[in-house]
Amino acid sequence: MHELSLVQGIISAVGETASEKGGRVRSVKIGVGELAQFDIRLVRGLLNDLKKGTSLEGARITVEPEKSKVKCLSCGRIWNFQELAGPISSDEREMMHFLPELLNSCSRCPNCSKSYFEIEEGRSVRIIEMVLDD
Amino acid sequence: MTESESNLDFRRGMIDRRLAHTRRVLLVMSGKGGVGKSVVSAALAGIADASGLEVGLMDADIYGPSSALLFGARGLPAEGESGLVPPILGGVKVMSVDLFASGRPIPLAGSGANEILLELLALTYWGNLDCLVVDMPPATGDIMLTLTLLRKDVEAIVVTMPDRLSTSVAHRVLELLKGGGVTTVGVLGNMVRGSAKDKETGPKKLAEEFRVPLLGLLPFDDSVSNAVEKGNIDALLRTRFARSLQKSMSVYLRGMRRGAPRAVG
Repeated sequence: MHELSLVQGIISAVGETASEKGGRVRSVKIGVGELAQFDIRLVRGLLNDLKKGTSLEGARITVEPEKSKVKCLSCGRIWNFQELAGPISSDEREMMHFLPELLNSCSRCPNCSKSYFEIEEGRSVRIIEMVLDD
Repeated sequence: MTESESNLDFRRGMIDRRLAHTRRVLLVMSGKGGVGKSVVSAALAGIADASGLEVGLMDADIYGPSSALLFGARGLPAEGESGLVPPILGGVKVMSVDLFASGRPIPLAGSGANEILLELLALTYWGNLDCLVVDMPPATGDIMLTLTLLRKDVEAIVVTMPDRLSTSVAHRVLELLKGGGVTTVGVLGNMVRGSAKDKETGPKKLAEEFRVPLLGLLPFDDSVSNAVEKGNIDALLRTRFARSLQKSMSVYLRGMRRGAPRAVG
């Protein structure tokens, strides 16, 4: 369950940033990209459990899903994970769960069938924004 | 005050914490492909383990990973509460993108390779290590820059064949290391055939020019390819090449004395 490590990483980064800037954390917005296929309820639950006693306790925490945005560098088509040209196996889903960039290893552009594309959005969990009290 | 995502890549902090219990990080570089970095990295990790050191091998060649193959590692790493647990083969903890991709091609554009590297470094639970050997990719792009900035005390060895094509690229790498303030442990000649020209030019001249040690001149050894075919690190460690590497790196390895065990967070 590497979601636990990632959530711990987020909490530490928020705490370090707050302490560096010398402010109290008012709110944090977390994005959960669809390519890593995390269970968003699990991420929310972990944040809720692990925030106790940290700089995130008392802050408003928003966790929102982020759709993927993939740009084909051959034909220019912008597509997402739902539009894949063919099915991907459970093994392939699992490797993307850890390393979302491996989408490139198991799929092709739904328009031109080339595997030359770049993930622009929605890869994994990330901090979108944090607001500190001045 | 609002911090936007560009300042908040939480993986950087995770990587710092992951490596807080690693004494030395050694990049095995060349700049050029095909000079034997991966085989040197694997053999060096095996030799370090045989010397009683705790050692990890990070395959940073994301486009053309080969460390897993050299150690016969396959299948996804186990997931523990502390992160991804690298498989231990021949005493070495091995992490590679190929444990996930399993031989599939990895066609990555833009920042893709660097994203994978950051993700692997952020997620891998190494525990206590005396040394993390990093098998570097060819070229001097994002991955080299990311890894040379990984910690202030990162060290590097530069592997080169004796010929002009290899040494000209190794020269660029040595310049970059010098400019970046990275400690260069030395230059290691590889696939040296024993001629006077091979021994007196190439690696030796590079080491002299940059005033770094010439660690050794590893022989061209036919038995290396047989050992590599077996995917078994022990077979590689029995070659003349590995014995020569052990001799070349003996001073470095002796300097890596293990201190008191530290608690892992």
